[in-house]
Amino acid sequence: MNAAQHILDALQRHQIDTVFGYPGGCIMPLYDALVAEDVGVEHVLCRHEQACALAADGYARASGRTGVCIATSGPGATNLITGVANAHRDSIPMLVITGQVPSSLIGTDAFQETDVLGMTLGIVKHSYLVTEASDLPAIMEEALQLAESGRPGPVWIDIPKDILLTDIGEPTAPAPTTATPLPDPTAEIDEALAMLREANMPLLYSGGGVSLAHAESAFRRFAKASRLPNVVTLKGIGNPGYDNADQMGMLGLHGSKAANMAVDTCDLLMVVGARLDDRATGAVSTFAPNAKVIHIDTDAAEFGKLRAADLAIRGELGAILNGMADALVRQPLTIENWRQQCATWRKTQGFQAAINEDPHAPISGPEFMRQLTDIAPRDAIVACDVGQHQMWVAQYCRFDHPRNHLSSGGLGTMGFGLPAAIGAQFAFPDRPVINVTGDGSFMMNAQELATIRRHRLPIKLIIMDNQCLGMVRQQQELFYENRESQINLDDNPDFLALARAFDIPTLAIQRTDQVRRGIQTILAYDGPMLLHVSIDRSENVWPIVKPGASNRDMLDESQRPTSTTAKNKESAA
Amino acid sequence: MTASADHTTHTLSCRMQPEPAALERLCQVARIRGFRIEEMQVRTDADGLAIDMVLSGQRSIDMLRRQIEKLHTVCSLRSPEQALTGIRQSA
Ligand SMILES: Cc1ncc(C[n+]2csc(CCOP(=O)(O)OP(=O)(O)O)c2C)c(N)n1
Ligand SMILES: [Mg+2]
Repeated sequence: MNAAQHILDALQRHQIDTVFGYPGGCIMPLYDALVAEDVGVEHVLCRHEQACALAADGYARASGRTGVCIATSGPGATNLITGVANAHRDSIPMLVITGQVPSSLIGTDAFQETDVLGMTLGIVKHSYLVTEASDLPAIMEEALQLAESGRPGPVWIDIPKDILLTDIGEPTAPAPTTATPLPDPTAEIDEALAMLREANMPLLYSGGGVSLAHAESAFRRFAKASRLPNVVTLKGIGNPGYDNADQMGMLGLHGSKAANMAVDTCDLLMVVGARLDDRATGAVSTFAPNAKVIHIDTDAAEFGKLRAADLAIRGELGAILNGMADALVRQPLTIENWRQQCATWRKTQGFQAAINEDPHAPISGPEFMRQLTDIAPRDAIVACDVGQHQMWVAQYCRFDHPRNHLSSGGLGTMGFGLPAAIGAQFAFPDRPVINVTGDGSFMMNAQELATIRRHRLPIKLIIMDNQCLGMVRQQQELFYENRESQINLDDNPDFLALARAFDIPTLAIQRTDQVRRGIQTILAYDGPMLLHVSIDRSENVWPIVKPGASNRDMLDESQRPTSTTAKNKESAA
Repeated sequence: MTASADHTTHTLSCRMQPEPAALERLCQVARIRGFRIEEMQVRTDADGLAIDMVLSGQRSIDMLRRQIEKLHTVCSLRSPEQALTGIRQSA
């Protein structure tokens, strides 16, 4: 058995049934191994390596299993980089396999040689350049274990072509890997409980780490037992589930005023699986100014990185949260006044999509998302792109589970949504998968319509078309005195014709009274379908925190500069 | 080059597995997390790589230590000021 066959063998043993890749010279031995009849791994040919990596990311985000992407050396590997960086910034478990030029040619500027190991150091959890074929089985085991364990992340294996072809005998049962146990958190749990009991206005702040640690049910148990008012980061959306009565939604740059006010007021902030990113905290010097901080994470490097923690607990999130929930069930917290205060804020300062009574009014982003979330089934997976539409999803769609909301958080990668939706659909062939995209983002990986077509993936594509790079336009309006620069997309292609070229049926809507039927129609259709939604170019995401400002000082629509006509209005011609 | 006034100097001793990119990983983490490498000594022995570094920067050295400890091929990390004869003592 050659090394390439060993790779497939290892994937199968780890129950990885789907990989996303694109062939080429140096990775051909692996593609040759894929031809064998008894291979239990389905290979999905995306149409750009970036989409392979982003699809693997979407597969991993939706399922919690490791996503795998494969490419050839040189341009194949460099095309992967954005997708791998995306996974790295959001701690998504991923295995990246690339072919490299033959060992003897490394360092000779050979055809399609690039220093993959060197140029990817900053975007991987770990990486390998395989120099001995016999090392490969052990490297595969270690890489898969590393990708998933602790704080997950992408692990990259670069393999010279000659090594892929080397016969290394039959596979032997891999030595069981023993992960080093995390410290016992019992003492810290008691301390955290004491801090919670002492606080008058404690607030729960959770992020993507909850689902990465597979601690969703422990989190809900804790939230229910503690009855803590709670806020979420972009990646924590869905942590509390539909039914948590104390949730105040997303905080931060485009968070709700209610969430930001609660953070500003609280006297104890319990941070779970979050890294206090600048988009969430605003000016960190004025963030949660009155609060003691309990920080719970698996990665010790997050403690005190941006905000000092009064108590840092490193360990298994699930065990810690369950331990705390047990104690709170026995003796609940007494925080009724604070809960009432937060409930009032939620009602008066939460996200409220204005309902437009005029049936002929143009469609507004928030109102569209509100209807989408009302109509879409509870188990629908929504993969967003990046921009205003992404924020409207975060603000107005409700999610019962964090893995149902796929959004590029740390990197903010335009072009993420479509390949991520493809990955999610492969992970869950029977669940509804919806890609909410913008007219700018859609064009970044539009070639993946070919992947949808090939596999007849029943993905629903919703393009929120404002004929511009809306998020950039908004910032230019608010922070650059409305000087528009290179954001105009009024010469967009005919998206409907584009979809039809890939045998994807379409529907276009422009008016408020068409929204419900439009959403119902695409969701009911048995197959892929594209809904083109024309929206107003000048619509903004509200509220917003000015760059560098405190979350306390959110701007809302009433503070919009009066002149909404752009200076230097460019045309695309 | 010497550390400027507002920079603090620190010494770190690190043991790493001798894989091809070991030093690059270490140097990159130091740079990205806000430190400059003022001096560096590397030896290879039966246990792998032994690296002594003098670093300067304005940020907390503990934060850097925790980032370095996350590198999979780092076996141990210490700040043994005394053990570093031959390398300038920290200021
Ligand atoms: C790959 C990439 N390039 C540039 C950006 C910067 N950027 C952030 S949002 C945005 C505009 C997105 O436009 P569109 O997809 O139409 O969404 P809209 O904001 O209009 O809803 C841009 C250019 C980015 N996030 N990713
Ligand atoms: Mg747009």
